[in-house]
Amino acid sequence: MEVGFIGLGLMGRPMALNLIRAGHSVHVWSRRRASMAPLLEAGAGDAASAAELAERCPVTISMVADAPDVEQVTLGPGGVAERARAGHIHVDMSTIAPAAAQRIAAALAEKGVVALDAPVSGGEVGAVAGSLTIMAGGDAAAFETVKPLFEAMGKSVTLIGAAGAGQVAKACNQILTGVGVAAVAEALNFATRSGVDAARVREALLGGFAYSRILENHGQRMLERNFKPGFKAWMHQKDLRIVMEEAHRLGLALPASAATAQLFNAVVGSGMGEDDSIAMLRLLERMSGAEE
Amino acid sequence: MSGAGMRVGFIGLGVMGAPMARHLLAAGHDLAVWARRPETADALVAAGAARCASPAALAARSEVVFTIVTTGADVEALAFGSGGLIAGFAPGAIHVDMSTIAPATAREIAARYAKSGVRWLDAPVSGGAVGAEQASLAIMAGGEGETLEAVRPLLEAMGRTIVHIGPVGAGQVAKACNQMVMVSAIQACAEAMRLAQAHGVDLAAVRQALMGGSAASRVLEVMGERMVARDFVPGIEARLHHKDFGLLIEEAVRSGTPLPIAGQVAQQLNALMACGWGRDDTASLLRVLERMA
Repeated sequence: MEVGFIGLGLMGRPMALNLIRAGHSVHVWSRRRASMAPLLEAGAGDAASAAELAERCPVTISMVADAPDVEQVTLGPGGVAERARAGHIHVDMSTIAPAAAQRIAAALAEKGVVALDAPVSGGEVGAVAGSLTIMAGGDAAAFETVKPLFEAMGKSVTLIGAAGAGQVAKACNQILTGVGVAAVAEALNFATRSGVDAARVREALLGGFAYSRILENHGQRMLERNFKPGFKAWMHQKDLRIVMEEAHRLGLALPASAATAQLFNAVVGSGMGEDDSIAMLRLLERMSGAEE
Repeated sequence: MSGAGMRVGFIGLGVMGAPMARHLLAAGHDLAVWARRPETADALVAAGAARCASPAALAARSEVVFTIVTTGADVEALAFGSGGLIAGFAPGAIHVDMSTIAPATAREIAARYAKSGVRWLDAPVSGGAVGAEQASLAIMAGGEGETLEAVRPLLEAMGRTIVHIGPVGAGQVAKACNQMVMVSAIQACAEAMRLAQAHGVDLAAVRQALMGGSAASRVLEVMGERMVARDFVPGIEARLHHKDFGLLIEEAVRSGTPLPIAGQVAQQLNALMACGWGRDDTASLLRVLERMA
Protein backbone atom coordinates (compact mmCIF):
# COMPACT_ATOMS: atom_id res chain seq x y z
CA MET A 1 0.00 0.00 0.00
CA GLU A 2 1.22 3.55 -0.73
CA VAL A 3 1.37 5.33 2.60
CA GLY A 4 2.63 8.75 3.67
CA PHE A 5 4.14 9.09 7.16
CA ILE A 6 4.40 12.36 9.11
CA GLY A 7 6.38 12.66 12.35
CA LEU A 8 9.56 10.60 12.62
CA GLY A 9 10.41 10.90 16.31
CA LEU A 10 11.15 8.26 18.92
CA MET A 11 7.93 6.41 18.04
CA GLY A 12 7.28 7.40 14.43
CA ARG A 13 10.66 6.37 13.05
CA PRO A 14 10.53 2.66 14.03
CA MET A 15 6.83 2.52 13.10
CA ALA A 16 7.57 3.79 9.58
CA LEU A 17 10.49 1.37 9.28
CA ASN A 18 8.19 -1.52 10.15
CA LEU A 19 5.82 -0.44 7.37
CA ILE A 20 8.72 -0.59 4.90
CA ARG A 21 9.74 -4.01 6.21
CA ALA A 22 6.21 -5.29 5.70
CA GLY A 23 6.52 -4.36 2.01
CA HIS A 24 4.51 -1.14 1.96
CA SER A 25 5.61 1.77 -0.15
CA VAL A 26 6.34 4.48 2.41
CA HIS A 27 6.82 8.19 1.73
CA VAL A 28 7.88 10.53 4.51
CA TRP A 29 7.82 14.16 5.50
CA SER A 30 8.97 15.70 8.75
CA ARG A 31 9.30 19.25 10.01
CA ARG A 32 12.91 18.49 10.93
CA ARG A 33 14.46 17.17 7.73
CA ALA A 34 17.31 15.51 9.64
CA SER A 35 14.85 13.07 11.19
CA MET A 36 13.93 11.84 7.68
CA ALA A 37 17.43 10.54 6.86
CA PRO A 38 17.17 7.03 8.36
CA LEU A 39 13.91 6.45 6.48
CA LEU A 40 15.23 7.75 3.17
CA GLU A 41 18.21 5.38 3.56
CA ALA A 42 15.78 2.52 4.10
CA GLY A 43 14.10 3.35 0.80
CA ALA A 44 11.29 5.72 1.72
CA GLY A 45 10.14 8.38 -0.74
CA ASP A 46 10.97 12.00 0.01
CA ALA A 47 8.15 14.56 0.13
CA ALA A 48 8.34 18.33 0.60
CA SER A 49 5.13 18.67 2.62
CA ALA A 50 2.28 16.76 4.19
CA ALA A 51 0.14 17.96 1.27
CA GLU A 52 2.52 16.30 -1.17
CA LEU A 53 2.28 13.03 0.78
CA ALA A 54 -1.52 13.20 0.53
CA GLU A 55 -1.31 13.79 -3.21
CA ARG A 56 0.89 10.71 -3.69
CA CYS A 57 -0.72 8.29 -1.23
CA PRO A 58 -4.34 7.28 -0.51
CA VAL A 59 -3.43 6.91 3.17
CA THR A 60 -1.41 9.23 5.43
CA ILE A 61 -0.36 8.64 9.04
CA SER A 62 0.70 11.25 11.59
CA MET A 63 2.61 10.62 14.81
CA VAL A 64 3.30 14.00 16.41
CA ALA A 65 3.36 15.58 19.88
CA ASP A 66 0.00 17.22 20.51
CA ALA A 67 -3.29 18.42 19.06
CA PRO A 68 -1.98 21.72 17.59
CA ASP A 69 0.64 19.70 15.67
CA VAL A 70 -2.02 17.34 14.33
CA GLU A 71 -4.14 20.30 13.27
CA GLN A 72 -1.13 21.88 11.58
CA VAL A 73 -0.18 18.85 9.48
CA THR A 74 -3.75 17.99 8.50
CA LEU A 75 -5.67 21.27 8.22
CA GLY A 76 -2.90 23.89 8.21
CA PRO A 77 -1.09 25.35 5.19
CA GLY A 78 0.76 22.58 3.35
CA GLY A 79 -1.33 20.08 5.30
CA VAL A 80 -2.92 16.81 4.22
CA ALA A 81 -6.35 18.29 3.42
CA GLU A 82 -4.85 20.72 0.93
CA ARG A 83 -4.15 18.09 -1.73
CA ALA A 84 -5.93 14.94 -0.53
CA ARG A 85 -8.24 13.25 -3.04
CA ALA A 86 -11.83 12.43 -2.12
CA GLY A 87 -11.91 9.33 0.08
CA HIS A 88 -8.38 9.87 1.38
CA ILE A 89 -7.82 8.26 4.78
CA HIS A 90 -5.79 10.09 7.41
CA VAL A 91 -4.76 8.10 10.48
CA ASP A 92 -3.56 10.10 13.48
CA MET A 93 -1.62 7.90 15.89
CA SER A 94 -0.60 10.73 18.27
CA THR A 95 -2.07 10.97 21.74
CA ILE A 96 -4.41 13.96 21.87
CA ALA A 97 -7.67 14.86 23.63
CA PRO A 98 -10.76 12.93 22.46
CA ALA A 99 -12.57 16.23 21.93
CA ALA A 100 -9.73 17.50 19.71
CA ALA A 101 -9.74 14.25 17.71
CA GLN A 102 -13.48 14.62 17.10
CA ARG A 103 -13.09 18.23 16.06
CA ILE A 104 -10.27 17.43 13.62
CA ALA A 105 -12.18 14.44 12.19
CA ALA A 106 -15.22 16.64 11.55
CA ALA A 107 -13.11 19.34 9.87
CA LEU A 108 -11.40 16.74 7.70
CA ALA A 109 -14.73 15.15 6.76
CA GLU A 110 -15.83 18.51 5.33
CA LYS A 111 -12.84 18.31 3.00
CA GLY A 112 -13.64 14.74 1.94
CA VAL A 113 -10.97 13.13 4.13
CA VAL A 114 -11.87 10.16 6.34
CA ALA A 115 -10.10 10.44 9.70
CA LEU A 116 -9.19 7.67 12.11
CA ASP A 117 -7.72 8.25 15.56
CA ALA A 118 -5.42 5.37 16.41
CA PRO A 119 -3.18 6.11 19.40
CA VAL A 120 -0.80 3.45 20.58
CA SER A 121 0.53 1.92 23.76
CA GLY A 122 3.76 0.01 24.17
CA GLY A 123 6.41 2.70 24.08
CA GLU A 124 9.55 2.80 21.98
CA VAL A 125 10.21 -0.88 22.68
CA GLY A 126 6.82 -1.79 21.23
CA ALA A 127 7.34 0.52 18.27
CA VAL A 128 10.67 -1.10 17.38
CA ALA A 129 9.37 -4.64 17.88
CA GLY A 130 6.17 -3.95 15.93
CA SER A 131 4.21 -5.09 18.96
CA LEU A 132 2.23 -1.91 19.74
CA THR A 133 -1.30 -1.94 21.05
CA ILE A 134 -3.39 0.16 18.66
CA MET A 135 -6.74 1.62 19.75
CA ALA A 136 -8.76 3.03 16.88
CA GLY A 137 -11.77 5.28 16.58
CA GLY A 138 -13.65 6.18 13.42
CA ASP A 139 -15.22 4.68 10.32
CA ALA A 140 -15.23 0.84 10.30
CA ALA A 141 -14.65 0.51 6.54
CA ALA A 142 -11.66 2.86 6.68
CA PHE A 143 -10.36 0.84 9.64
CA GLU A 144 -10.53 -2.38 7.57
CA THR A 145 -8.73 -0.66 4.67
CA VAL A 146 -5.76 0.37 6.79
CA LYS A 147 -5.74 -2.68 9.06
CA PRO A 148 -2.78 -4.26 7.20
CA LEU A 149 -0.77 -1.14 8.03
CA PHE A 150 -1.74 -1.38 11.70
CA GLU A 151 -0.74 -5.04 11.71
CA ALA A 152 2.73 -4.12 10.45
CA MET A 153 3.19 -1.83 13.46
CA GLY A 154 1.23 -3.51 16.22
CA LYS A 155 0.15 -6.82 17.65
CA SER A 156 -3.15 -5.94 19.26
CA VAL A 157 -5.32 -3.85 16.94
CA THR A 158 -8.84 -2.91 18.10
CA LEU A 159 -11.55 -0.68 16.68
CA ILE A 160 -13.01 0.84 19.85
CA GLY A 161 -15.83 2.92 18.35
CA ALA A 162 -16.60 6.18 16.56
CA ALA A 163 -14.24 9.13 16.06
CA GLY A 164 -12.45 9.97 19.32
CA ALA A 165 -13.06 6.52 20.85
CA GLY A 166 -9.45 5.50 20.26
CA GLN A 167 -8.31 8.54 22.23
CA VAL A 168 -10.74 7.70 25.04
CA ALA A 169 -9.18 4.22 25.25
CA LYS A 170 -5.71 5.80 25.25
CA ALA A 171 -6.73 8.15 28.07
CA CYS A 172 -7.87 5.08 30.06
CA ASN A 173 -4.52 3.49 29.26
CA GLN A 174 -2.69 6.56 30.58
CA ILE A 175 -4.74 6.56 33.79
CA LEU A 176 -3.70 2.96 34.43
CA THR A 177 -0.06 3.38 33.46
CA GLY A 178 0.36 6.77 35.18
CA VAL A 179 -1.16 5.70 38.46
CA GLY A 180 0.63 2.35 38.03
CA VAL A 181 4.08 3.90 37.72
CA ALA A 182 3.41 6.01 40.82
CA ALA A 183 2.17 2.94 42.72
CA VAL A 184 5.19 0.83 41.79
CA ALA A 185 7.55 3.68 42.71
CA GLU A 186 5.80 4.11 46.07
CA ALA A 187 5.92 0.38 46.80
CA LEU A 188 9.60 -0.01 45.93
CA ASN A 189 10.54 3.13 47.87
CA PHE A 190 8.49 1.84 50.80
CA ALA A 191 10.36 -1.48 50.73
CA THR A 192 13.78 0.19 50.55
CA ARG A 193 13.04 2.67 53.31
CA SER A 194 11.75 -0.18 55.48
CA GLY A 195 15.17 -1.79 55.14
CA VAL A 196 13.96 -4.55 52.83
CA ASP A 197 15.49 -5.59 49.50
CA ALA A 198 13.21 -4.02 46.89
CA ALA A 199 14.35 -6.47 44.21
CA ARG A 200 13.11 -9.41 46.26
CA VAL A 201 9.84 -7.65 46.96
CA ARG A 202 9.32 -7.09 43.25
CA GLU A 203 10.16 -10.71 42.48
CA ALA A 204 7.70 -12.02 45.07
CA LEU A 205 4.95 -9.66 44.00
CA LEU A 206 5.27 -10.63 40.34
CA GLY A 207 3.94 -14.06 41.33
CA GLY A 208 0.84 -12.72 42.99
CA PHE A 209 -2.22 -10.56 42.46
CA ALA A 210 -0.16 -7.36 42.28
CA TYR A 211 1.48 -8.61 39.10
CA SER A 212 1.49 -6.03 36.35
CA ARG A 213 3.48 -5.28 33.25
CA ILE A 214 4.52 -2.02 34.94
CA LEU A 215 5.80 -3.80 38.04
CA GLU A 216 7.73 -6.09 35.73
CA ASN A 217 9.24 -3.56 33.28
CA HIS A 218 9.21 -0.22 35.06
CA GLY A 219 9.95 -1.91 38.38
CA GLN A 220 13.04 -3.54 36.89
CA ARG A 221 14.28 -0.22 35.52
CA MET A 222 13.68 1.44 38.90
CA LEU A 223 15.84 -1.22 40.56
CA GLU A 224 18.55 -0.65 37.94
CA ARG A 225 18.08 3.11 38.34
CA ASN A 226 17.96 3.29 34.57
CA PHE A 227 16.26 6.61 33.89
CA LYS A 228 16.98 6.65 30.17
CA PRO A 229 13.70 7.04 28.23
CA GLY A 230 11.63 4.91 27.27
CA PHE A 231 8.64 7.09 27.66
CA LYS A 232 9.59 10.56 28.76
CA ALA A 233 8.09 11.97 31.95
CA TRP A 234 6.89 15.16 30.22
CA MET A 235 4.90 13.04 27.79
CA HIS A 236 3.14 11.29 30.62
CA GLN A 237 2.49 14.69 32.21
CA LYS A 238 0.95 15.82 28.91
CA ASP A 239 -1.21 12.71 28.63
CA LEU A 240 -2.51 13.15 32.17
CA ARG A 241 -3.24 16.79 31.38
CA ILE A 242 -5.53 15.51 28.63
CA VAL A 243 -7.17 13.11 31.08
CA MET A 244 -7.72 15.83 33.68
CA GLU A 245 -9.09 18.28 31.11
CA GLU A 246 -11.63 15.70 29.97
CA ALA A 247 -12.55 14.98 33.61
CA HIS A 248 -13.11 18.71 34.16
CA ARG A 249 -15.21 18.98 31.00
CA LEU A 250 -17.33 15.94 31.85
CA GLY A 251 -17.65 16.54 35.60
CA LEU A 252 -15.85 13.35 36.52
CA ALA A 253 -14.05 12.70 39.79
CA LEU A 254 -10.64 11.09 39.19
CA PRO A 255 -8.91 11.50 42.56
CA ALA A 256 -6.14 8.95 42.03
CA SER A 257 -5.30 10.30 38.56
CA ALA A 258 -5.31 13.85 39.92
CA ALA A 259 -2.81 12.97 42.64
CA THR A 260 -0.60 11.31 40.04
CA ALA A 261 -0.89 14.28 37.68
CA GLN A 262 0.42 16.54 40.44
CA LEU A 263 3.34 14.18 41.04
CA PHE A 264 4.21 14.38 37.34
CA ASN A 265 4.07 18.19 37.58
CA ALA A 266 6.73 17.88 40.29
CA VAL A 267 8.83 15.46 38.22
CA VAL A 268 8.82 17.86 35.25
CA GLY A 269 9.13 20.97 37.42
CA SER A 270 12.26 19.59 39.07
CA GLY A 271 13.98 19.14 35.73
CA MET A 272 13.39 15.42 35.13
CA GLY A 273 10.95 15.84 32.24
CA GLU A 274 13.36 14.37 29.68
CA ASP A 275 13.98 11.29 31.85
CA ASP A 276 11.85 8.18 31.73
CA SER A 277 8.62 8.41 33.68
CA ILE A 278 10.20 6.15 36.33
CA ALA A 279 11.93 9.37 37.51
CA MET A 280 8.84 9.31 39.72
CA LEU A 281 10.94 7.11 42.04
CA ARG A 282 13.56 9.86 42.44
CA LEU A 283 10.84 12.39 43.24
CA LEU A 284 9.40 10.16 45.97
CA GLU A 285 12.87 9.53 47.38
CA ARG A 286 13.53 13.26 47.53
CA MET A 287 10.12 13.98 49.06
CA SER A 288 10.97 11.36 51.69
CA GLY A 289 14.15 13.10 52.70
CA ALA A 290 16.78 11.39 50.53
CA GLU A 291 19.78 13.53 49.56
CA GLU A 292 20.44 13.80 45.83
CA MET B 1 -7.23 61.90 33.41
CA SER B 2 -8.70 63.55 36.47
CA GLY B 3 -9.92 61.78 39.60
CA ALA B 4 -13.55 62.79 39.41
CA GLY B 5 -16.07 62.60 36.62
CA MET B 6 -14.24 60.20 34.33
CA ARG B 7 -15.92 58.75 31.26
CA VAL B 8 -16.25 55.09 32.15
CA GLY B 9 -17.72 52.07 30.36
CA PHE B 10 -18.90 48.87 32.04
CA ILE B 11 -19.69 45.43 30.60
CA GLY B 12 -20.89 42.42 32.59
CA LEU B 13 -23.80 43.37 34.83
CA GLY B 14 -24.13 40.12 36.75
CA VAL B 15 -24.19 39.44 40.47
CA MET B 16 -20.79 41.10 40.82
CA GLY B 17 -20.83 43.64 37.99
CA ALA B 18 -24.18 45.32 38.66
CA PRO B 19 -23.36 46.63 42.15
CA MET B 20 -19.81 47.52 41.06
CA ALA B 21 -21.16 49.65 38.18
CA ARG B 22 -23.65 51.25 40.55
CA HIS B 23 -20.81 52.35 42.84
CA LEU B 24 -19.03 54.01 39.90
CA LEU B 25 -22.19 55.94 39.06
CA ALA B 26 -22.69 56.93 42.69
CA ALA B 27 -19.08 58.20 42.85
CA GLY B 28 -20.00 60.76 40.20
CA HIS B 29 -18.50 59.19 37.08
CA ASP B 30 -20.04 59.46 33.62
CA LEU B 31 -21.01 55.82 33.21
CA ALA B 32 -22.06 53.99 30.03
CA VAL B 33 -23.02 50.35 29.76
CA TRP B 34 -23.44 47.68 27.13
CA ALA B 35 -25.20 44.41 27.84
CA ARG B 36 -25.72 41.37 25.64
CA ARG B 37 -29.16 41.05 27.23
CA PRO B 38 -30.29 44.73 27.27
CA GLU B 39 -32.78 44.18 30.11
CA THR B 40 -29.91 43.51 32.54
CA ALA B 41 -28.90 47.18 32.11
CA ASP B 42 -32.36 48.67 32.68
CA ALA B 43 -31.86 49.44 36.37
CA LEU B 44 -28.54 51.21 35.77
CA VAL B 45 -29.91 53.16 32.82
CA ALA B 46 -32.83 54.25 35.01
CA ALA B 47 -30.25 55.39 37.58
CA GLY B 48 -28.53 57.56 34.98
CA ALA B 49 -26.09 55.40 32.98
CA ALA B 50 -25.95 55.79 29.20
CA ARG B 51 -26.76 52.74 27.05
CA CYS B 52 -24.49 51.87 24.12
CA ALA B 53 -25.35 49.76 21.08
CA SER B 54 -22.07 47.80 20.99
CA PRO B 55 -18.80 47.34 22.87
CA ALA B 56 -17.15 49.45 20.13
CA ALA B 57 -19.57 52.33 20.74
CA LEU B 58 -18.95 52.00 24.48
CA ALA B 59 -15.18 52.13 23.97
CA ALA B 60 -15.48 55.16 21.66
CA ARG B 61 -16.98 57.29 24.45
CA SER B 62 -14.89 55.95 27.35
CA GLU B 63 -11.45 56.68 28.81
CA VAL B 64 -11.68 53.44 30.75
CA VAL B 65 -13.78 50.32 30.15
CA PHE B 66 -14.34 47.68 32.84
CA THR B 67 -15.35 44.12 32.04
CA ILE B 68 -16.35 41.38 34.46
CA VAL B 69 -17.54 38.30 32.57
CA THR B 70 -17.19 34.53 32.90
CA THR B 71 -14.43 33.19 30.66
CA GLY B 72 -11.26 34.23 28.84
CA ALA B 73 -13.08 33.58 25.56
CA ASP B 74 -15.79 36.07 26.61
CA VAL B 75 -13.16 38.74 27.27
CA GLU B 76 -11.44 38.04 23.95
CA ALA B 77 -14.75 38.26 22.09
CA LEU B 78 -15.60 41.57 23.77
CA ALA B 79 -12.19 42.99 22.94
CA PHE B 80 -11.58 41.72 19.42
CA GLY B 81 -14.87 40.23 18.15
CA SER B 82 -17.04 42.01 15.63
CA GLY B 83 -18.09 45.38 17.06
CA GLY B 84 -15.50 44.79 19.78
CA LEU B 85 -13.87 47.29 22.09
CA ILE B 86 -10.74 47.62 19.95
CA ALA B 87 -12.78 49.19 17.14
CA GLY B 88 -13.76 52.06 19.43
CA PHE B 89 -10.80 52.61 21.76
CA ALA B 90 -8.66 55.71 21.22
CA PRO B 91 -4.90 55.24 21.80
CA GLY B 92 -4.19 55.60 25.51
CA ALA B 93 -7.58 54.23 26.55
CA ILE B 94 -7.58 51.58 29.26
CA HIS B 95 -9.34 48.21 29.43
CA VAL B 96 -9.58 46.97 33.03
CA ASP B 97 -10.67 43.34 33.06
CA MET B 98 -11.96 42.24 36.45
CA SER B 99 -12.99 38.74 35.32
CA THR B 100 -11.14 35.66 36.52
CA ILE B 101 -9.30 34.25 33.49
CA ALA B 102 -6.01 32.48 32.77
CA PRO B 103 -2.87 34.62 33.21
CA ALA B 104 -1.72 33.50 29.76
CA THR B 105 -4.95 34.77 28.18
CA ALA B 106 -4.57 38.12 29.96
CA ARG B 107 -1.02 38.44 28.61
CA GLU B 108 -2.14 37.60 25.05
CA ILE B 109 -4.94 40.17 25.10
CA ALA B 110 -2.67 42.87 26.57
CA ALA B 111 -0.01 42.25 23.91
CA ARG B 112 -2.60 42.53 21.15
CA TYR B 113 -3.96 45.78 22.58
CA ALA B 114 -0.46 47.22 22.93
CA LYS B 115 -0.10 47.24 19.13
CA SER B 116 -2.97 49.76 19.01
CA GLY B 117 -1.71 51.77 21.97
CA VAL B 118 -4.54 50.56 24.21
CA ARG B 119 -3.55 49.97 27.83
CA TRP B 120 -4.57 46.95 29.90
CA LEU B 121 -4.97 46.05 33.52
CA ASP B 122 -6.02 42.66 34.82
CA ALA B 123 -7.77 43.37 38.10
CA PRO B 124 -9.67 40.34 39.34
CA VAL B 125 -11.46 40.64 42.63
CA SER B 126 -12.16 38.67 45.78
CA GLY B 127 -14.97 39.23 48.23
CA GLY B 128 -17.99 37.82 46.47
CA ALA B 129 -21.41 39.36 46.01
CA VAL B 130 -21.33 40.82 49.52
CA GLY B 131 -18.01 42.53 48.86
CA ALA B 132 -19.33 43.90 45.57
CA GLU B 133 -22.45 45.32 47.29
CA GLN B 134 -20.45 46.87 50.12
CA ALA B 135 -17.65 48.18 47.83
CA SER B 136 -15.22 46.26 50.03
CA LEU B 137 -13.65 44.02 47.36
CA ALA B 138 -10.00 43.01 47.37
CA ILE B 139 -8.60 43.96 43.95
CA MET B 140 -5.43 42.33 42.59
CA ALA B 141 -3.92 44.31 39.73
CA GLY B 142 -1.51 43.26 36.99
CA GLY B 143 -0.10 45.80 34.52
CA GLU B 144 1.88 49.04 34.38
CA GLY B 145 1.97 50.98 37.65
CA GLU B 146 1.06 54.14 35.75
CA THR B 147 -2.05 52.51 34.32
CA LEU B 148 -3.11 51.41 37.79
CA GLU B 149 -2.65 54.92 39.16
CA ALA B 150 -4.81 56.32 36.32
CA VAL B 151 -7.74 54.12 37.33
CA ARG B 152 -7.12 53.92 41.08
CA PRO B 153 -9.94 56.38 41.95
CA LEU B 154 -12.33 54.16 40.02
CA LEU B 155 -11.11 51.00 41.74
CA GLU B 156 -11.44 52.74 45.11
CA ALA B 157 -15.13 53.23 44.40
CA MET B 158 -15.52 49.44 44.19
CA GLY B 159 -12.96 47.97 46.56
CA ARG B 160 -11.16 48.50 49.81
CA THR B 161 -7.84 46.68 49.27
CA ILE B 162 -6.11 47.49 46.00
CA VAL B 163 -2.74 45.84 45.49
CA HIS B 164 -0.42 46.17 42.50
CA ILE B 165 0.85 42.61 42.20
CA GLY B 166 3.14 43.03 39.18
CA PRO B 167 3.14 43.14 35.37
CA VAL B 168 0.30 42.05 33.09
CA GLY B 169 -1.09 38.66 34.15
CA ALA B 170 0.16 39.00 37.74
CA GLY B 171 -3.29 39.97 38.98
CA GLN B 172 -4.67 36.73 37.57
CA VAL B 173 -1.85 34.74 39.18
CA ALA B 174 -2.79 36.27 42.55
CA LYS B 175 -6.45 35.47 41.88
CA ALA B 176 -5.56 31.84 41.14
CA CYS B 177 -3.71 31.71 44.48
CA ASN B 178 -6.74 33.25 46.16
CA GLN B 179 -9.12 30.68 44.69
CA MET B 180 -6.81 27.83 45.58
CA VAL B 181 -6.53 28.87 49.23
CA MET B 182 -10.21 29.69 49.59
CA VAL B 183 -11.80 26.66 47.95
CA SER B 184 -9.29 24.27 49.54
CA ALA B 185 -10.34 25.81 52.86
CA ILE B 186 -14.00 25.24 51.97
CA GLN B 187 -13.16 21.59 51.31
CA ALA B 188 -11.31 21.33 54.64
CA CYS B 189 -14.29 22.93 56.35
CA ALA B 190 -16.65 20.44 54.68
CA GLU B 191 -14.46 17.52 55.78
CA ALA B 192 -14.44 18.77 59.37
CA MET B 193 -18.21 19.15 59.32
CA ARG B 194 -18.58 15.68 57.81
CA LEU B 195 -16.37 14.16 60.49
CA ALA B 196 -18.36 15.86 63.25
CA GLN B 197 -21.56 14.65 61.58
CA ALA B 198 -20.27 11.06 61.42
CA HIS B 199 -19.70 11.15 65.17
CA GLY B 200 -23.15 12.54 65.81
CA VAL B 201 -21.68 15.73 67.23
CA ASP B 202 -23.49 19.07 66.96
CA LEU B 203 -22.04 20.92 63.97
CA ALA B 204 -22.95 24.39 65.19
CA ALA B 205 -21.12 23.77 68.48
CA VAL B 206 -18.02 22.49 66.69
CA ARG B 207 -17.96 25.50 64.39
CA GLN B 208 -18.44 27.89 67.27
CA ALA B 209 -15.62 26.32 69.28
CA LEU B 210 -13.24 26.31 66.29
CA MET B 211 -13.94 29.96 65.55
CA GLY B 212 -12.34 30.81 68.89
CA GLY B 213 -9.08 28.97 68.17
CA SER B 214 -6.25 28.67 65.66
CA ALA B 215 -8.56 27.17 63.02
CA ALA B 216 -10.64 30.35 62.85
CA SER B 217 -11.03 31.69 59.32
CA ARG B 218 -13.38 33.68 57.14
CA VAL B 219 -14.27 30.45 55.32
CA LEU B 220 -15.13 28.61 58.53
CA GLU B 221 -17.20 31.59 59.57
CA VAL B 222 -19.19 32.09 56.37
CA MET B 223 -19.15 28.72 54.63
CA GLY B 224 -19.19 26.79 57.90
CA GLU B 225 -22.36 28.58 58.83
CA ARG B 226 -23.94 27.73 55.49
CA MET B 227 -23.03 24.08 56.02
CA VAL B 228 -24.47 24.04 59.54
CA ALA B 229 -27.68 25.62 58.24
CA ARG B 230 -27.62 23.45 55.08
CA ASP B 231 -28.11 26.67 53.15
CA PHE B 232 -26.89 25.97 49.62
CA VAL B 233 -28.41 29.03 47.95
CA PRO B 234 -25.45 30.74 46.19
CA GLY B 235 -23.40 33.34 47.08
CA ILE B 236 -21.00 32.52 44.29
CA GLU B 237 -22.14 29.55 42.21
CA ALA B 238 -19.94 26.48 42.56
CA ARG B 239 -19.62 26.16 38.77
CA LEU B 240 -17.50 29.34 38.80
CA HIS B 241 -15.07 27.84 41.30
CA HIS B 242 -15.03 24.70 39.13
CA LYS B 243 -14.08 26.89 36.16
CA ASP B 244 -11.32 28.59 38.18
CA PHE B 245 -9.86 25.26 39.24
CA GLY B 246 -9.76 24.12 35.62
CA LEU B 247 -7.60 27.17 34.88
CA LEU B 248 -5.23 26.77 37.79
CA ILE B 249 -4.69 23.07 37.22
CA GLU B 250 -3.71 23.93 33.63
CA GLU B 251 -1.30 26.58 34.91
CA ALA B 252 0.26 24.01 37.24
CA VAL B 253 0.97 21.74 34.28
CA ARG B 254 2.39 24.63 32.27
CA SER B 255 4.83 25.59 35.02
CA GLY B 256 5.55 22.10 36.38
CA THR B 257 4.29 23.03 39.82
CA PRO B 258 2.93 20.28 42.06
CA LEU B 259 -0.39 21.24 43.71
CA PRO B 260 -1.40 18.05 45.53
CA ILE B 261 -4.28 19.52 47.54
CA ALA B 262 -5.66 21.68 44.72
CA GLY B 263 -5.54 18.60 42.47
CA GLN B 264 -7.78 16.75 44.89
CA VAL B 265 -10.12 19.68 45.46
CA ALA B 266 -10.56 19.94 41.69
CA GLN B 267 -11.86 16.37 41.73
CA GLN B 268 -14.37 17.12 44.48
CA LEU B 269 -15.56 20.06 42.37
CA ASN B 270 -15.87 17.76 39.34
CA ALA B 271 -18.00 15.44 41.47
CA LEU B 272 -20.09 18.39 42.64
CA MET B 273 -20.77 19.32 39.00
CA ALA B 274 -21.69 15.73 38.17
CA CYS B 275 -24.19 15.72 41.03
CA GLY B 276 -25.94 18.71 39.45
CA TRP B 277 -25.08 21.28 42.12
CA GLY B 278 -23.09 23.64 39.89
CA ARG B 279 -25.58 26.48 40.34
CA ASP B 280 -25.68 26.01 44.13
CA ASP B 281 -23.21 27.42 46.61
CA THR B 282 -19.77 25.81 46.94
CA ALA B 283 -20.79 24.80 50.48
CA SER B 284 -22.25 21.86 48.51
CA LEU B 285 -18.80 20.27 48.80
CA LEU B 286 -20.27 18.94 52.05
CA ARG B 287 -22.99 17.16 50.06
CA VAL B 288 -20.34 15.54 47.83
CA LEU B 289 -18.73 14.00 50.92
CA GLU B 290 -22.15 12.82 52.13
CA ARG B 291 -22.72 11.23 48.73
CA MET B 292 -19.35 9.43 48.88
CA ALA B 293 -20.19 7.62 52.12
